[in-house]
Amino acid sequence: MRTQFGARLTEALETCRPAPPDKPNILKTLLAVQSSLGYVPASDLPQIAQVLGVTDAQVAGVLSYYSDLRTQPPSRHLIRVCRGESCTANHGLRVLRAIQDHVRVAVGDRTQAERFTVEQMSCAGNCAVSPTVIVDDEVHGRVVPSQVAALLERYK
Amino acid sequence: MVRLYLANDTSSRAAGAERLADAWSERTEIQLIRTSSRGAFFLEPMVERDTPNGREAWFNVAADDLPRIVAGVGGTPVAEIPFVQQQTRFTFANFGITEPLAIDEYQTRGGLKGLAAAQGLSPEAIVGELRLSRLRGRGGAAFPVWKKWQVAQQTGSEHKYIVANADEGDAGTYCDRMIMEGDPFRLIEGMMICARAIGATRGYIYCRYEYPAAAQTMRFAIQKAREADLLDCDDSPFDLEVVVGAGSYVCGEETALLESLEGRRGVVMAKPPYPAESGLYGRPTIVSNVLTFATIPNILAQGGAWHASLGTEGSCGTMALQLGGRVKQPGLVEVPFGLTLRDVLDRFGGGMAPGSRFKAVQVGGPLGSLFPESQLDIPICYDAFAEAGAILGHGGIVVYDDETNMVELARHFMAFTADESCGKCTPCRIGSVRGREILERIQRGQGTAEDLVLLSDLGETMKTASLCALGGRAPYPVLTAIEHFGDEFRQGVEFTRPA
Repeated sequence: MRTQFGARLTEALETCRPAPPDKPNILKTLLAVQSSLGYVPASDLPQIAQVLGVTDAQVAGVLSYYSDLRTQPPSRHLIRVCRGESCTANHGLRVLRAIQDHVRVAVGDRTQAERFTVEQMSCAGNCAVSPTVIVDDEVHGRVVPSQVAALLERYK
Repeated sequence: MVRLYLANDTSSRAAGAERLADAWSERTEIQLIRTSSRGAFFLEPMVERDTPNGREAWFNVAADDLPRIVAGVGGTPVAEIPFVQQQTRFTFANFGITEPLAIDEYQTRGGLKGLAAAQGLSPEAIVGELRLSRLRGRGGAAFPVWKKWQVAQQTGSEHKYIVANADEGDAGTYCDRMIMEGDPFRLIEGMMICARAIGATRGYIYCRYEYPAAAQTMRFAIQKAREADLLDCDDSPFDLEVVVGAGSYVCGEETALLESLEGRRGVVMAKPPYPAESGLYGRPTIVSNVLTFATIPNILAQGGAWHASLGTEGSCGTMALQLGGRVKQPGLVEVPFGLTLRDVLDRFGGGMAPGSRFKAVQVGGPLGSLFPESQLDIPICYDAFAEAGAILGHGGIVVYDDETNMVELARHFMAFTADESCGKCTPCRIGSVRGREILERIQRGQGTAEDLVLLSDLGETMKTASLCALGGRAPYPVLTAIEHFGDEFRQGVEFTRPA
């Protein structure tokens, strides 16, 4: 079965094909696929399993276990709001609410959102300048609700 | 041209260092050197320059402060910043001073002396030095490091592995991230010393997905170390690789980490066998925290006895405490064990953030106990914390103010465990969900008096019957919240359902 990512997927998988006596590494492979395609399409599980020489179920098991492996296409921008303890202590929940009010997207809703997806994340390790909001790869610290609109304006 | 120093650490950038670098990128009167961060994050973005009397610093700098800095007006000598000056920095001695990837600077400031010392010792003597040092693992379990190394050393195997646990998932901790981003050769040196002691052929740094800058810095550092022929162990090449996780908290537990490293679901395994006997791919494997490895070069360079002379009887050396939450001065504090929690909060934390009042402090991440004001005189060391039924964990200290709702906080902790449980053992998998549900009932004002009894009973079951510390420690923040702030919980129980 050809998928929409045919060639790119094959290319990503080729780098992960285990060379004996090495054992297949499912997590590493899924991360490589995600880094190439932006997510791991469920329809590609059989091809991934076949290249690695493991069962579909083993791949599905790893895919569903790790929260940073995505099975839906990403929006243009991913907003991650830290819900670690330091951000919680610094009232990061108010920042999360301000973001949701501003972009009008529910946490975790990947299907409706084109511009932004909003997620909560566990501790970002940016505790000393919390609350933390990460947009794509940029880490923003000491975010207060009143800054949210201006902060997100930069991401079109 | 004036040479200025600006930190390139993730938190410094998040505080505005990157905005300064962008704004000043075309200024020809300055040369900007990107260093690690001092860890005084409340002062970031902080800019430093050399003076005849050492570095001077400007705090919370905005782009238009540049003329002032270039003119040398209004700076503070770094040696006079109380937050910095009152610390005892060994593992973090280079922070704020050196460029992370400058291997020559690392060496000039005493780096690689530990590895050189180890190369002159037999593997047994290296373990002996660690035994003398009384170093205990800094990841949370506080297990004597030498014992682990001795087991791996004495277990015969063609291949042995070393894994740096850089899955720093405990909320409120960031010292491993700082080490990887700020002084990566120290971690590599610690791992190389371990490789020599146990005869390892390969090493991995298992870095969490949330730390892309740390993973990238480590990859560059490994490349530089390889070019400098540092990655040789007994004349054979030692293969060192960064492996990135995918957002699972429990992968910080060593057996789950090894499962994940092999590419499977990061599920906890029953011990024994311990990884030191049978770990990665069934071979002897040392799994230690990044901070533990980074502590080792100084021990080899200065001797185990030197390390044992610092700190307290059962907790030797220094600890990297990481202050966060509603303190005025959040940041990294390296001090010998033994100061009280109150000392640390007052002297380094500087009291509460403006406009807020203290309610509780949590030590040791999301599984750590809460302490009210009346219990702040506890000394920071493993024994005192164990006696109090608490943990030091990885040294995270998060302060909550009086606007914090303790029922919501307790629910947050249980929900965290329910989300992150690997599902292997029943007490954690089911217990955390039931615990969260009970707390949600109380939060809605629909709880009964029995719910608090049930929660305590559930907590005892999780403590004794869980397979790892996630389930085993999860009840502590919840039960200590009920113990110290019981009124808030009883309100949710009694208002709607009078007996």
